[in-house]
Amino acid sequence: MLTRLLRPADDADGVPDSVLTLTAIILLLRPLDVWWLAPFVLAAACLSLILRPVRRAPLTWVLVAVLVAIRIVYVWPLSDNHIYLLAYWCLAMGLALSGPIPAATLSASSRWLLGAAFAMAVLWKAVLSPDYVDGRFFRVTLLTDERFADASLVFGGLSRDQMAVNRKFLEPLPEGAELLEPPAFVEPPRLRAFSAIATWGGLVLEALVALLSLIPAEGRIQLARHASLLLFCATTYALAPVAGFGWLLATMGLAQCRPGQRTLRGAYAAVFILILLYSEIPWAGVLAGWAAR
Amino acid sequence: MFARTAGLSPWKGGGFGMFSTTDDAGRRHVRVFVSAPERSEEIAISPSLEDAARRAAVWPTDAALSRLARRVVEREGRYRRPVDTVRIETWRIKYAPDTLAATTSLMRDFVYRVDETPAPRR
Repeated sequence: MLTRLLRPADDADGVPDSVLTLTAIILLLRPLDVWWLAPFVLAAACLSLILRPVRRAPLTWVLVAVLVAIRIVYVWPLSDNHIYLLAYWCLAMGLALSGPIPAATLSASSRWLLGAAFAMAVLWKAVLSPDYVDGRFFRVTLLTDERFADASLVFGGLSRDQMAVNRKFLEPLPEGAELLEPPAFVEPPRLRAFSAIATWGGLVLEALVALLSLIPAEGRIQLARHASLLLFCATTYALAPVAGFGWLLATMGLAQCRPGQRTLRGAYAAVFILILLYSEIPWAGVLAGWAAR
Repeated sequence: MFARTAGLSPWKGGGFGMFSTTDDAGRRHVRVFVSAPERSEEIAISPSLEDAARRAAVWPTDAALSRLARRVVEREGRYRRPVDTVRIETWRIKYAPDTLAATTSLMRDFVYRVDETPAPRR
């Protein structure tokens, strides 16, 4: 058993090096925030980038999965969702690399993991959260979450003064209380439209990814699956401040590409870089600055 | 499941409910009150209490609230301030469907008695 976990998987088995490399890069780009775990994960990521036998050894990824799982337990319940997905993904890579048909196993694991994660997300948004489909979530978030503020100014047509007034309006009162003269609330039609597009665009795209991932079919369905995932990553992470999630999804999508699908592989690599640019370039802030001049 | 039955924020716990609701960690908070003979007051959440307070706000279980209460008792003890009871309120912000009028809503009111078993109020 240990020999199997230590033995690097052959290239002939087809798990692309790019999938393993990008996963290691994700670990480096967003290190775990627990000091006594982070050095080991970073070391494993560095070694796997430098040394091919480490990169292709199942044990590397099983160990990383265990370290990520320890982090989840240690900070429970504060971890973001994609940290759980990262743990599942590293475990899936370790198990796939130790099996007889690594590439096919990893591709199937990726599809089922994505299908399950997106199905859960759709369940929450469409059924379990009363404040999503009625638009409240994005109407409030676009105004109160600083990370979306610049996008609200650019696409919602708000001024900074109006934003400040709206934030004042959205400050809570004790239950049952009501102000005699509540502050004004300014919601231009463009902002309302922006929040509706974010609400329904996100839900439809996520439902599409979930559905197409859970249908175990090839051919056109497979292409549609890739197209929906690429579109989701390219649009969502322009605004959503969780680049680590986007990188993980792109890497998992890449793992589902067959060896001959060079264009698709290139598209996933491009989306990975695009999400990197989204996260490092404050493009909405620059646009908001220009618009305010 | 815990989000539906035990007050866990849908954003946390690995259920993929993030970006689905305004009930996130940033819109939950705890208020801590301590009492003893000749003392009854609300205390501020100091940096040493922040981690326990965040965990208790995100998932206000008896265990998480007791942990926060024990930290409060330890901290008060360091400053030689007596504590008989720690009361912790967990609050969240809610927004009205159309107007978005914001109100705070009490999720849990928990009482921890020093040297006694914690007694949840509701």
